[in-house]
Amino acid sequence: MNAFKNLPASKSSTPTCRDLSSLAATQSRNRDAVGKPVWRPRACSVADMKYLPWLLLVLCLLCPGQVAALTNDDCLGCHGDPELSVTRQGKTISLFVDEEVYKHTVHAENGCVSCHVEAEVDGDEHPSRLASVKCYECHEEADAVYQQSAHGAGALLECGSFVPVCKDCHSTHAIFPSGDKRSTTYPLNLPSTCSKCHRQGAKASEKCHIAENNMPDNYVMSIHGKGLYEDGLVVTAVCTSCHRHHDIQRASVATSSVNRENVLETCNQCHVGIVAKFRKSVHSPLVTKTDKRLPVCVDCHSSHTISRVSQKDFRLTIGEQCGNCHERHTETYFETYHGRASMLWGGEKTAKCSDCHGSHDIMPASDPSSKINSANIVETCAKCHPNSNPSFATYLPHATHGARDKEKYPYLYYTFMAMTGLLVGTFSFFGIHTLMWIPRGIIERLNSMARKRKHRGAGERRE
Amino acid sequence: MTRKTTQYVERFSVVQRFIHLLVILSFLTLAVTGMALKFAMEGWAQWIALSSGGFVVLGALHRFCAVVTFFYFFLTLILLYEKWHESGKSLLGFIFDPEGLMPNLNDLKEMVGTVKWFFGGPKPSYGRWTYWEKFDFIAVFWGVAVIGTSGLFLWFPEQFSRFFPGYWINIATIIHSDEALLAAGFIFTIHFYNTHLRPDKFPLDPVIFVGSITVEELKHERPREYAQLVASGRLEKMVTKRAPVAWLRRMATIFGLFVVSTGSVLIVAIVVAMIKHFSPH
Repeated sequence: MNAFKNLPASKSSTPTCRDLSSLAATQSRNRDAVGKPVWRPRACSVADMKYLPWLLLVLCLLCPGQVAALTNDDCLGCHGDPELSVTRQGKTISLFVDEEVYKHTVHAENGCVSCHVEAEVDGDEHPSRLASVKCYECHEEADAVYQQSAHGAGALLECGSFVPVCKDCHSTHAIFPSGDKRSTTYPLNLPSTCSKCHRQGAKASEKCHIAENNMPDNYVMSIHGKGLYEDGLVVTAVCTSCHRHHDIQRASVATSSVNRENVLETCNQCHVGIVAKFRKSVHSPLVTKTDKRLPVCVDCHSSHTISRVSQKDFRLTIGEQCGNCHERHTETYFETYHGRASMLWGGEKTAKCSDCHGSHDIMPASDPSSKINSANIVETCAKCHPNSNPSFATYLPHATHGARDKEKYPYLYYTFMAMTGLLVGTFSFFGIHTLMWIPRGIIERLNSMARKRKHRGAGERRE
Repeated sequence: MTRKTTQYVERFSVVQRFIHLLVILSFLTLAVTGMALKFAMEGWAQWIALSSGGFVVLGALHRFCAVVTFFYFFLTLILLYEKWHESGKSLLGFIFDPEGLMPNLNDLKEMVGTVKWFFGGPKPSYGRWTYWEKFDFIAVFWGVAVIGTSGLFLWFPEQFSRFFPGYWINIATIIHSDEALLAAGFIFTIHFYNTHLRPDKFPLDPVIFVGSITVEELKHERPREYAQLVASGRLEKMVTKRAPVAWLRRMATIFGLFVVSTGSVLIVAIVVAMIKHFSPH
């Protein structure tokens, strides 16, 4: 956003000339009797200022071809009218420029024609449709970066002509520094600026095949979104904090701030302490040398749906998140009380992976600093079980009785087999017993019904 | 044909009926709350947890009913103690009383006779307790002991593990869970069928709620007991013309059918879940 704060001076000499001619031109000249601005295309022809011909001559020599420069007032003569509009392809487009807004923007010092160069014509009217404003003529650096970004070259390649340009993010005449509350890039406004295109059904998903997956809603519900909207915390992460702005790239691009390789560094912009801890943990490539994929922040915390870790939703997904890599451990966890209860309503209360193993500072059990190292395990269990003791801590939170773990936990396997034997035996015996009983029971019932009928029939006959 | 007034004998005392009511209420609650945890991955289990207010509520109900279970367990022991005292027999004599609840050789004979009856033989002459009724009683006795002990272990794991290694909690889980599956499976299928759903009683035998049966029924279903009662002259003392009151019969039917159908639905859900996963726990 620096580009906007320190706006470079216009390279054209136009402003100088225009400023001078503005000085020469009085307000009254551009207004009619009732003060309404009138269309005066040739502001520099000052026939009623007889005492300045020489000065004008000098000025005109100094600025060849620019003598007839338009002042903003000239433009506003028409464009200051809120009603001014044009219909293009059935759409009504307002041509109104609000001077009250414009005069406070970063471009307030610039004349209209410094951007809309084609408007400066000799005739009474400029072309009905002006070419797009060439921001890059001043904002060279930003443009160079933008051209290489997903919004520049990337979008051109993938989305055809639906390329976001400067004004799509920065607006046209209402450009303020990004720290200004009125700016479209002010933190509180930025998510809605981006989501003009980045939401389901809008340009990015329709034309560029970006699966938005309820992104704007998810962001609003996320911890970052809540910080922003509920508390007005403008230092919270907004779109550009993670994705950057002019140099935005798709996550698949190696240099992207949201590429797997760079996510840690991106989060590190704010979460310095956590990242420092993480770098010392078993999940860090600095600690574990492996060909397997090591997790980065978003693997556990997600991106747009990121929530407070103490929150129910987050706690309930921990098991599955870890299970993406630690499949067997998650499976066995869900077979124990902790895991089973966590599937039920209120299940966020039982121990989750991180409650025993830690999160950012996670270490293998063999490491003395690990939460599940024998030196620390009693204390770890005591977080939920205050009466924890060394014997209690030898509970096997991932043990199963399955044949797969027969070697590891034979006593569990054989207990289960004995119980299964008891069940199969009892149910087989009584199952067969009952199955044999059913036909006999039906026969007896039918017989007794027949007897009753006969009895009743005999009674009726006797009567 | 002269019409005789229907006569009744009491089969279950008020205390016995009360105990069975406690058994039903606590067992059904224990089964529903426990199976919801055991089969937590099933939709119905999650529905139970959600509609009851969460697994914490299920846990509280489960523990409350465990206390009820221990209560009726000891109440039964007290009743048995009293019965023993009244009988004037030695302890072993009381326990192995041929007409008592302990299975004996005669039960084996009756069982063989019953199987023969299934295939067209004569119906055995049953006494006060048939062998399947004895099994029901012993099974609950055994079940409460096993499920109760393992359950206490799981309720107070920190305390128990001071005396036993921690992996015993794992073992207790397996025993508690499978023994419960056995108990629920047995009660909700075998017991329900043998006692209520069999064709001559379908859909419900209300005797455990109303307490008495007709002398005709006694004579027909338990000829040996009838003969014994006649021989000892006790039948005359026991017989009453007072039929079970209508509201009690109605309540018994409504409540009994509710319990039988709830248990049946639960067992179907369990069987479906087990077929789906083929891995109980």
